[in-house]
Order: sequence, then structure tokens, then C-alpha cells
Amino acid sequence: MRYDSITEAIGNTPLVRIDPAVHGLRHIDLYAKLELLNPFGSVKDRAAWNMARAGLADAVAHGSQVVELSSGNTAKALAVIAGMHGLSFKSVTNRMRIPEIKDLLLLLGAEIEELPGQSECLDPTNTDDPLTLFHRELSEPGHSYLHTDQYFNDRNTEAHTTGTGPEIVKDLDGRAPDWFIACVGTAGSSTGVARVLREHDPHVRVVGLVAGKADFIPGIRTLDEVHEVGLFAPETYDTMESVSSDEAIEGMLTLARRCGILAGPTGGAAYYGTVRHLRAWDDELTASQDGAAANGPRKSAVFIVCDRIESYLGYTRQRRPDLFRLPPRRNAVADLTTAEIAAAGAIDTHDAQKWIVQDRPLVVDLRSPFAYAALHIEGSINIVDELFEELVRGGLPFGKQQPVLLVCPVGEQSARYAALLSRMGHPDVRSLSGGVIAWRDAGAPLVRD
Amino acid sequence: MAAAVPLSPEPLSLEPRLEERLASLLRSGALLHTLVDALGSPLNVVLPDQIAENARRFRAAYGTHRLAGRVFFAHKANRSSALVRRLAATDAAIDVASLGELQHALGAGFTPDRIMATGPKNPEFRWLAARTGVTVNVDSYGELEELATLVGDRQLPRIRVVLRLSAFDGPGVRMRTRPSRFGSPAGELEHLLKAVERHGDAVELVGVGYHLDTTSLEEKARALEGCIRALDACRSRGLRPRAVDIGGGFGVDYLAHGEQWERYTSALTAAVLGRRPAITWRGHGYGLRNDAGTLRGSLALYPAHRPVAGARYLDELLSLPAPSFGGRPLATLLLENLYDLYTEPGRALVDQCGLVLARVLEARRTDSGDHLVRLAMKADDAGLEEHGVLMDPVLLARDGTRAAGGGEPVGVYLAGSLCLEADLITRRMVFLPWLPRPGELLGFANTAGYCMDFQTSGAQHQPVARKVAAWQAEGSWHWCLDEQYWPITRPGGES
Repeated sequence: MRYDSITEAIGNTPLVRIDPAVHGLRHIDLYAKLELLNPFGSVKDRAAWNMARAGLADAVAHGSQVVELSSGNTAKALAVIAGMHGLSFKSVTNRMRIPEIKDLLLLLGAEIEELPGQSECLDPTNTDDPLTLFHRELSEPGHSYLHTDQYFNDRNTEAHTTGTGPEIVKDLDGRAPDWFIACVGTAGSSTGVARVLREHDPHVRVVGLVAGKADFIPGIRTLDEVHEVGLFAPETYDTMESVSSDEAIEGMLTLARRCGILAGPTGGAAYYGTVRHLRAWDDELTASQDGAAANGPRKSAVFIVCDRIESYLGYTRQRRPDLFRLPPRRNAVADLTTAEIAAAGAIDTHDAQKWIVQDRPLVVDLRSPFAYAALHIEGSINIVDELFEELVRGGLPFGKQQPVLLVCPVGEQSARYAALLSRMGHPDVRSLSGGVIAWRDAGAPLVRD
Repeated sequence: MAAAVPLSPEPLSLEPRLEERLASLLRSGALLHTLVDALGSPLNVVLPDQIAENARRFRAAYGTHRLAGRVFFAHKANRSSALVRRLAATDAAIDVASLGELQHALGAGFTPDRIMATGPKNPEFRWLAARTGVTVNVDSYGELEELATLVGDRQLPRIRVVLRLSAFDGPGVRMRTRPSRFGSPAGELEHLLKAVERHGDAVELVGVGYHLDTTSLEEKARALEGCIRALDACRSRGLRPRAVDIGGGFGVDYLAHGEQWERYTSALTAAVLGRRPAITWRGHGYGLRNDAGTLRGSLALYPAHRPVAGARYLDELLSLPAPSFGGRPLATLLLENLYDLYTEPGRALVDQCGLVLARVLEARRTDSGDHLVRLAMKADDAGLEEHGVLMDPVLLARDGTRAAGGGEPVGVYLAGSLCLEADLITRRMVFLPWLPRPGELLGFANTAGYCMDFQTSGAQHQPVARKVAAWQAEGSWHWCLDEQYWPITRPGGES
């Protein structure tokens, strides 16, 4: 397939059937709409392109900046689209909780502004919430912005009434599915797709999935937050159900490991919520058909897979550290017993000063380069703890003839490493008792080069 | 989605979180009735032993990260003498924001090395601070100059200063931090440091700090990183500062049950959108409004359910990584750079430290059928509503018991005793175990931080609440007037 522009590759994503052996539903065919295969990686490519393109010519003429309130995929797509047209892009957000997405946006050249947290000392008379200030700024004279306004812009929904919705109907041989399930973020995709499907068949049942109130799933709003969305209309959904982040990750794992669909947690949430919702219906269908001679027609359901797994490794690690279990490490301080640490060689500031003059031990400062550069013991070398940890994993980093004095802030970490080096066979390694703080408090000299 | 509209509102409780000491006091209903009978309504009760316990928890968070430094109690949270005197008997320090607070702290037993003067200062406050040798948290370049002049003109000893900075830049991302009237922009540090050097005989730089009005850990982490960079700039000029002052704002977890808070805020959202009957006085939205079916505005409420608050919040902040220093935890950076940590908790240090009691005067129905309960107090005597803290009061029957049991909870609005439409103690319907009867008491728990005496007035010659200190000894509660409490006070007058 040949295109003149990457934006032509947006849309026409595959509809893939999920193996019934995975989801276990007996009477319902389950299809995943793979929005993660859009060129910039998510369902938001459609909305971003549809919202931006109408104003692009004008924005290029005025050198406008593209701005959006987005924490993730919309910002990502808009950053690319703006860059392709020689425009700058700014994302304003209070929900940027995925560090990988933040870094990716910076890499793409986006400018990011974060809204402040809630005030600790509430001032009820201050009605200038940060969003109001943002909107005021957009309308200030002398500035030129292309504000795509995804939560209120009908072109967001339109991207799905003209694209996603009709594609699903076409791929199901001109029929609407019996169920359509979507996570609710801006409500653009669910509203748009639901409209098209209902035009084909008013009986289609639409399930909206939201996150639990105190929970966080990227790209999904909670039951209260959806009411802040201009495109959200409660009547779009026959039912609203909530999914937890644990369930989203569970769904994500099933899609990735068993279906070969490398979806992010939002797709995982959609899959999990879909199967959970349909299981009751499936049981009902089984019960009603058991007595009948012939099985009734099979039902079908479609859910949306919004984006890809790669950006959510940190998110997943935080919630499911068990999935990232690493093999045990050699020469690790964590293996030391308290007795070993207590038995490690230690020396106080007064004796250490004498020892340095007499035997010239290698003085290793385990603090960060920044702290070392600020103030350190004269003649010491700096190997930051995390680097030192790597070094000793491979073996002793200095000869056994060389006495060593280890230095850290308060003498705890240095004692652990002294014990480890002793265990590894070093005959004369000592830890500075009380660390560099005790050294300073004893009035011993610290230098700054 | 079909919205179910219940005929009568289900009880939307917001029960206060009570630790053992405060819970025990509230179980002593007979004593509380006697106190209000004798001393009048409203009455403030403070628990000095609790502030010592809270200071110990903050100190433990320092210990976890091996950090040295000081915990300064932000005095402005409560005017009590008992709390300040009790704190003077611990290893904590105090942050004073006025001449009166400084005098109070000195008189309570705090020596100048344990006092920091912050906030806007008048000449008398500055003079007493310089004369006694307390540390001064300097708000601006102009204030630094004035201090130096004062020390020179009056031949005062060299004064220790902490520079308060603001408007920090972070890596990668611009933070739209709320603009503050206080502190010098971090970008103007060099200008300030030149003045510190010029006035080297008058001022000694002990550190830099910030105080951000935000609940966001990330914003504070960024400011802390900025302070570490600023201190390095000081060191590179040959100055030897040794403290980072990270201010307060550690928060309080007010509610016993997170689910109640979530249910309440969801119900409020639904009420504002007209999807359920109102649960507030005349449909008050606490900052939310209905704009053609879409929810607009922002919830102007204190996040009353905060599982991570106080010393735990400090611990989390210190554990955060510093992106511009290779992701090392902030505590590690402080420690390895040999910096002491200064904190100024106010609200968090008086968590569970007090109670406002008020007598029920009457209960009647409004024209619209709502229950309205009038109390012998003014709204400003317990500033919960003013500070956006939604928390139910505890109802104490005349015989001292708390729950009669069996009865249906009743939703009521609480009004004060001023002849003023706005004198409502709550603009939300509060659910109580029974309809309060005249003579019964309502206890507004956990109000010692800003919600007790911060903005109480003498409007209409109404009485200003008296304050008593209460403590437990030998299995029972004892009390005395707040101003008569000292850490050595014992029942019977012996020490």
C-alpha cells in the first residue's frame, strides 16, 4: 500500500476475532478493533487528525501554536501532526502520570505545562481554577493558538462516526454487533461508534467502562470525571461499569500473552470489562438454548483496543512487581546478615585522619557526583553507590594489598559495603563511622575542587 | 444510564477519623457536658499530649531517612498556650508569624535557637526577632536589606537567615504553579546572595527554603530539587549554608472511611447535575456547577480523605526521585550533601489535638421541610466550612452517651446564632444518629488546625469560646484552663 503522507495511514484498522478458548464465551463471538495499529500508536490519531486538519492551513499562515489538554495519546498524535506542519505544540495537563509518555512528548518536541495540585490552604473566594486561567490565556490578544479542545469538539466524535463506526459495520458484513464496549476517556470514540451502530440496529447494547473512583487507568476517566466531559452524554450508554487497574493489567496480560495483541492497560480494561459483562449473558443464552433442539444464531461483540503496551512498563511494574521478578544477584549487600555488617571494619574520624596519613588507604566516597563535587575528603575518589554496586557484582574492584576507606553520608551504607568486600576476601577495608556528617561535625576538613 | 432518584436521601455520613486519645475524650460525654455547663458554649478543648505524639511521628520520618534537622510547628494553626508549652518540652521547634506569636513562643519556653520567624513582618516583630537571635525566614530582597540595616543601626548580633525562594523551574516540563505573594523567585538567587555577602557581618545564611500551597508531591519535589541546586550555588561562592526548609502542607486525613468520602462526592456531583435530590443548602455546589448537563468548575473542598498525610506524606516526598540528579531519592540527596531538613507542619502537627463543643439551642423545620438545628456558636467558631473540610460532628446526649441506637439517622442543616442569613455552620445536610434536642452537645472533632480559633470573632457581643487543655493521667481525664496549663501541671496543683 502506497501513501503520500503518514496521515493517510490513519484508520482502517483490523477487526480481529479473539479465540473463544481464551475468553470462554460459548455463544458470543468477540472482536477486538485494533486501534493500536494507527501510525502514531493509538485511537487518538483519528480524533487528533480530524480536529487539527480543519484549522491547519490557517494555523500555518499565522504561525499558531497547537494546544490541547491531554495527558497522553492525543498529545502524542498532535505533537507529530504539528511537527509535520512546522507548528509547535503545547500540552497542558494535570494527569501526566505516565513518565514514558512525558519523555516521548519531549522527544517529539512538544512543550508540556502541568497544572498545579490542589491548594492545601483552601481559599473559597478564589474562583480562578487553573483551567479557567488556561482558557483566559487562549483568548488573550496577541497570541495565536489552534486549540483542538478534544473534550468538547464535535470533530472528535465525527472521526468515529465517519471512520471507526462504519469500518466495524463493514467488517461484520454490514451488520452491527449485539454489544459494543468502550472505555470512556473523552467519550469521542464511544459516542461516535455507538451512534453509527445504533443507526444500523437500534438494539445494539453499549457498555461504557470507567475507572474506580480512587483508581487510575491511563486514558479512562472515573465515574465522576466523565461528567466534566462535554462530549459525554449518559444516554449513549445502556450501562456504565467500572474496572480496576488490577483488572486492566490482568486483561492486558491475557491480550498480550494469549492473543498476540500488544495492548496497553486501556485495551486490557476493555477486554476485561467486556468478558465480565458478557459472561452473564452467555450463561443466560446457554440456559435458554439447552432445552432447544437447535442452537440460536451466534451473537457478536466488539471492544476497542486503544493503544500499545510499551509505554506502560513503569505503570505495570508499580502495580505488579511480581511480573518483573529478576534472578538473584551475586555479591549483593542485600544478602548480608546483620552480624556480618556489625563485624565490618569501622574507624572514626579521628583515627581515620591518622590512618590516611600513615597508610594512605584508597578513600572511596559513595555519594552522588553532585554531593561529592560540593564537598569531600581531600584525595578521595567518587564512585556513586549504584555504580559501586555494579562493580562489585563482577568481583573486587581493587587489589587486596590496597587498604580501602569507604565513605557515605552516615556510615550505614559504607558499613554494608565494607562487610561485603570483607566477605569477598578483602583483608583491610574499613567504613568511616558516622560518615561524612560525623567527619564534618568533628571539624575535619572538607574540600571543594 | 438510568439515574435512580431515591425518594428520601440516604444517610451520607462523613465520620471523623478519631485516634484513641480524642475518641476517649468523646466517650467522656458527662465531663464534656459539665465543662460546657460551667464555661459556656462554644468551648474549645485541646489535647497537649497529642501534639507531642505527632512531633515524635515527624521525627521518626526524619529518622527513617537518617536526616537531621528540625520540625517547626507553624503556630498560626492554633493560638493555644497549652499546645505550645507542651511542644516546648519536646525536641520540636516553632515557626512564628507575628510579634505576638514570637512573644508567646519565648514565654512558653522556646529558646531562640528553636524559633523561626516567617511571613510578613512589621518592624517590632523584626526587632524582637533580631534582638533575641531567632532565625529569620527572609521573604524578599527588600526584607534582607532592612534586616541588615536594623542589625547595623542597633548594633545587634549577627542574625541567622533562611532565604525563601519561589517559582522554581524543573527539567522538561513547565509547572503552572499557583503564583505566590511570598518568597523571591529562584531566578533572582544571585542578586540575593550578593546582598548576603555584602552584609556578611550582619546576616549568616543558614539555608534556603520554599513554602508551596499545594497538595501535589511532584510540585514540592521540584521545589526541593531547586533548593538543593540553590544551596550548591551558595557553596560555590564560599557560603556554608546547611539547611533546606521545605515548609508545611503535609495535610491531615480527616475521615474515618474513604468510601464515605467517595460516595459523598459522587452524590454531590449527581446533585449538582440534578440527578438526585439536593444534599446542600439551596443547592450549593461547593464550586461545581451544571453547565447544560456538563459539570463545570472545580470542587472547592479540602480532600478530607487523605490516606497519605502528615508524617507519611513527608516520608513519601523524601522518597521521591530527583530527575535532575539522576533519579536519586531526595532524602539521599539531602543526606549526602550534608543538609539538615527543616519542616513547618501546622495542621498536620495538631492533627487529633482538639475539639470544638457547642450546645444545641433548638431544632425546627424550615418552610421547605428541612430540619434546621441552631447551635450556641457562630460559624467562625469552627471554621470547617470556611476551610472546605466536610466532616460530621459527634452528637452527645445529655446523659453523655453518643449513640442511642436503633433510630433512623436524620439529615439536618446546622446554623449559628448570629442574626445573619450566612451564619450557617454547614451548607450541606449533615446526618446525625437522632434529631438533636435542646441541651445536647455537638462535638466538632479534630478542629485544632485552623478550624478552632483562627478566625473567631466577637461579632454581636457573642461570647468568644473559652479554651481548656485536657489530658489523661491515672486512667481518667483531667483538665484546666488553657492558659493555666504547663507541661508539669498535675491534678491538685502539685508538680
